[in-house]
Amino acid sequence: MRLRHLASGAGVVGSGLCAGIAAGILMLILAYVVREGAPAVNWSFLTGVPHPVGVPGGGVANGIVGSAIIVGLATVIALPIGTLTGIYLALYGRGPFADAIRFLADVLSGIPSIAIGLFAYTIFVAPFRHFSGASASVAFAILMLPLIIRTGEEAIGGVPKRVREGALALGISSYAATMHVVVPAARAGLMTGLLLAVARVTGETAPLLFTAFGSQFWELNPTNPMASLALQVFTYAISPYEDWHQQAWAGALLLILAVFILNVLARFALRSRTSR
Amino acid sequence: MRRNFFTRRERLSASLSPILVLALSLGFIIPALAATQLTGAGSTFDYPFFSKAFYFYSQKHPEVTVNYQSIGSGGGIEQFINKTVDFGATDVPMNADELKRAGAPVVQVPVALGGVAITYDLPLLVKGGIKLSRQALADIFLGKITKWNDPEIAKLNPGATLPDLPIIVVHRSDGSGTTYIFTDFLSNVSKEWKDKVGTGKSVQWPAQNSIGGKGNEGVAGQVRQTPGAIGYVELAYVIENKMTEAQLENSSGKWLFCTLRSVQAAAATKPEVSATDFSIVDRSGPNSWPISGYSWAVLYQDPTDKARAKLTHDVMEWTVTDGQSIAKDLDYVALPENVQETAKKALAQIKL
Repeated sequence: MRLRHLASGAGVVGSGLCAGIAAGILMLILAYVVREGAPAVNWSFLTGVPHPVGVPGGGVANGIVGSAIIVGLATVIALPIGTLTGIYLALYGRGPFADAIRFLADVLSGIPSIAIGLFAYTIFVAPFRHFSGASASVAFAILMLPLIIRTGEEAIGGVPKRVREGALALGISSYAATMHVVVPAARAGLMTGLLLAVARVTGETAPLLFTAFGSQFWELNPTNPMASLALQVFTYAISPYEDWHQQAWAGALLLILAVFILNVLARFALRSRTSR
Repeated sequence: MRRNFFTRRERLSASLSPILVLALSLGFIIPALAATQLTGAGSTFDYPFFSKAFYFYSQKHPEVTVNYQSIGSGGGIEQFINKTVDFGATDVPMNADELKRAGAPVVQVPVALGGVAITYDLPLLVKGGIKLSRQALADIFLGKITKWNDPEIAKLNPGATLPDLPIIVVHRSDGSGTTYIFTDFLSNVSKEWKDKVGTGKSVQWPAQNSIGGKGNEGVAGQVRQTPGAIGYVELAYVIENKMTEAQLENSSGKWLFCTLRSVQAAAATKPEVSATDFSIVDRSGPNSWPISGYSWAVLYQDPTDKARAKLTHDVMEWTVTDGQSIAKDLDYVALPENVQETAKKALAQIKL
């Protein structure tokens, strides 16, 4: 009896401690990045384009815009495919074909992002002999797909069956029941999946090396080589120069902030679903 | 009423202002887009120099911008062969096999000159830097000398208190021109190294206690964090990161640090370099730093897009001549004049 209580207490304390350590490490990383990066964040850093080494100032505005365009385009590609696949799996997904899709989506989420970058390179860069932001979007879309598919399936599946059946009973078509009744009901869950997928790729660097290529210039045309914030952090971090290291920290801080905000938004989206 | 707080005109201007901001920002962006953008990829060693040189070039010639990305020498050659870039850059010229894979005649142009320094991390520093003989350096990287207080090192550094600490060899984990230059030197000074390991962009490191780092920065970082570590890093990284350098014995028996001057001296001993005869490691001459090398740009001799090729040609010609004046501020050695001539002759072979 005593022993049982003791073991239970130890378990609570132990797991609590581990949770504390995990959260503590995260806070430590955050604090460190803020300490190293915050001093370099200023107006010209946020609005300027990179200067070469030895020329003071310069910023990552082209990288921020480039990241936004690449991720935006990736979303345009991945969202319809992912959501429709999720709908299919949730509403009609029985049998070996659906199981195969689920299995493949899980496998896809485990493939290293650099391999997907190389795939995009082989398909979209090498044949055209031209690096482009769009090829990076393709790589990102592939990375986003499994997340959108699986969260989409869960969100759609989470809508009670009777809601759909009720809609059908009122005589509307299956298409309308899905698109105008089930999908709106699952919107919060779908949104969460999308935001998490966006957060997942925002910090990715590896697939960009051989697709977006990077750029020191303003570039709004996704068929050209494009800058990206994560890529700029990478290049600056491996350089030998102190002011570039500073900017790398500042860029990392912006990336963490972006991912943090996306996660908070995802949380809010989820909360509004559960409270409904 | 509250709703009419704004007059109609105010509301109009409020709704117009985002459009105005957009138009203004486009005004800044469009001139930048009007220029032709050339792309290049390769050597991380060249990157800081290229980035500054091309920046100045674009200020003088607004019609062209150069987007250079440092993906490593091996990657640069690969992209050049795949024709995804206008030029590649590599710290060791393309070899026969790579030239064959390029499928068309290639022009190789020396663009930068640099040195590889030996850097280490020891708790008790020897004033003036620890001394390492050529043989001792080779033996350390062969894994035959494993402790810092080895008699072989102690003999070279009388009076120094060397710790009883294992030596940890730090090397590049990626395909690297720096590794090529360094192993080229070791093959020159040690027959055992030449037979067992050889020269290359990536090799099998024989030392037991060895770790890899990605890029020059990776090696520099590993050495700084690991007590007892020794590694080889491009000079700019050692200077910028204020790392401890070892003195090395050159082929004339003189003890030297890797400096801009000693690298320059090594280059001066070999006025004629070419893509097939490029090595300047272990040159004779009392002031020659023995681990020095050129970096090369690679271009196609008969390019299909003549307009782009002309722009690339002009950028490169400026880079190997006037652009060299930028080199010194960035811890690079300017190309010797005769090598600038070699570079210009190579560029003249391109059919425009």
